[in-house]
Amino acid sequence: MRYWVLAVFLIIFIIWYLTFLARRLDRLHQRVDNTWANLDILLQKRAAVALEIAHSDIADPASSMLLTGAAYQARDAAIQNRSNAESGLSGALGLLLEDAQHLTTSADSQLLTELSALTDKIRVAIALHTDAVNRSQMLRSKFVVKSFRLAGSAPLPVTYEFEADVL
Amino acid sequence: MLSKLLKIGIVCPYSWDTPGGVGNHIRDLAEYLIAQGHDVSVLAPASEDATLPSYVVSAGKPISIPYNGAVARILFGPVAYARVRSWIAEGDFDLLHLHEPAIPSISLLACWAAEGPMVGTFHAAAKHQKIIFAIGPILEPAIEKLSARIAVSEAARLTLTDHLDTDAVIIPNGIYASRYMHGTPQSKWQGNTIGFMGRFDEPRKGLSVLIDALPVISRFAPDVKVFVAGPGDPDEVIKDIDPQLRSRFEFLGKVSESDKADFMSSVAIYVAPNTGGESFGIIVAEALAGGACVVASDIPAFDDLLGHGQYGALFESENSTELAKVIIDLFRNEGKRNELARSGKTHAQLFDWSVVAEQIYSVYEMSVVGGSKVRVSQDSRSWSRFLSKEEKP
Repeated sequence: MRYWVLAVFLIIFIIWYLTFLARRLDRLHQRVDNTWANLDILLQKRAAVALEIAHSDIADPASSMLLTGAAYQARDAAIQNRSNAESGLSGALGLLLEDAQHLTTSADSQLLTELSALTDKIRVAIALHTDAVNRSQMLRSKFVVKSFRLAGSAPLPVTYEFEADVL
Repeated sequence: MLSKLLKIGIVCPYSWDTPGGVGNHIRDLAEYLIAQGHDVSVLAPASEDATLPSYVVSAGKPISIPYNGAVARILFGPVAYARVRSWIAEGDFDLLHLHEPAIPSISLLACWAAEGPMVGTFHAAAKHQKIIFAIGPILEPAIEKLSARIAVSEAARLTLTDHLDTDAVIIPNGIYASRYMHGTPQSKWQGNTIGFMGRFDEPRKGLSVLIDALPVISRFAPDVKVFVAGPGDPDEVIKDIDPQLRSRFEFLGKVSESDKADFMSSVAIYVAPNTGGESFGIIVAEALAGGACVVASDIPAFDDLLGHGQYGALFESENSTELAKVIIDLFRNEGKRNELARSGKTHAQLFDWSVVAEQIYSVYEMSVVGGSKVRVSQDSRSWSRFLSKEEKP
């Protein structure tokens, strides 16, 4: 008799624990989606600012071409090529900014401040995204989560290479 | 500037009527956000007879427990939990900002009870928090719910990564730099003077290190004067000072904000000899903003804040001989003193609320992107239904 009670409690506990884990996992996946959405918006904005810079007086014709190309690539890249495209844009912007320190016109320097503010935000967004991804990967590598397939059909979240060295 | 207006709920773990670093930070942040047009409600423990500003909601009477080398007045328990839940349910917040959610407090309870966009700020930096953090596995699922984590300094971030295995964005504490910028130097505090500010009867503030350094300093600078500002009982400290040196000390008691600005711009050197337990060092940032030449112990928070010696001189923590050496060197070299004070003042602008609150707000913006509001979480609702029948809808 007593064993029955114990067994029932155990089963209830196991069910509770599994739903608890599943909910945790679901929350983390949502966090990954949200943080990625953030980052995506900011990167799109950056591409737009890069285009504006390319059309302004800051860029000489050659770097303007390079920048325009990189910005379009970053904007239109499919998810597989996204990492390369964003790294390319970071590189192009980096090159240009290196020798754009001595600018005088206010309109131009305004663009640059906008870019640097955006870069700061991107840095924060990347940190948030990486953290969310790491946490979900950690939870998903748990034995219980794997064996009960608590993640369902959700793809394993990944970080992108460009996140390591954006500007 | 700030584009979207939000309804923000801030949770303060420590009693509102006992002044402290975290409480001041929350007050300034809340007032800044309100001034920007946001709707802010702060939930904090408070004594029954405390007068609270209109934006503060009391969560109940705090209890005192020893924590991190001081007595913390915090609150938890079933009654507090129920209050936290109803505050969340009634608040209809876009976002919750929880301060210090890793200690047993209403911040942790709120983290437990809520679901939706949440930002957590971690203030503490201490090595021996193992006991609190030993419950990591229990904390983890709760802390995991935070959509963004903020640490106030590199030291606080390291504490977090060490104990809870999670990363954080560093956003420093804020000060109103403009309040300290225009102090008028007072002749009574000028000359070969050393300033100290803080609760001097707390050992970790390190006044004793300065007292031990004074015999050497007075040998080289016989006219040295030490001004100690801050609340506390001077008699306790005075009886430990060498009788010959007692006249070198002057206790000013608690000083007002405007006196603080004058004080910082007058004293030749401001000393922060704290021996630990400090995670940011708001008073050091204020001293820098006030244009003081700062000498601080090399604990991680100060080392970080002073740019490894770029914006103020550092000495080995608890080493009064080295402190004396650094001070004497600066007394003799006015050029170096002015240079440090000047670069420190510029650096302190980075901690101004206009900069810091913008950074915090951009984290808010990123957290609310999912579009959902804060609500009481499912688990917590079923629990309360399970525990108390009368709460059934």
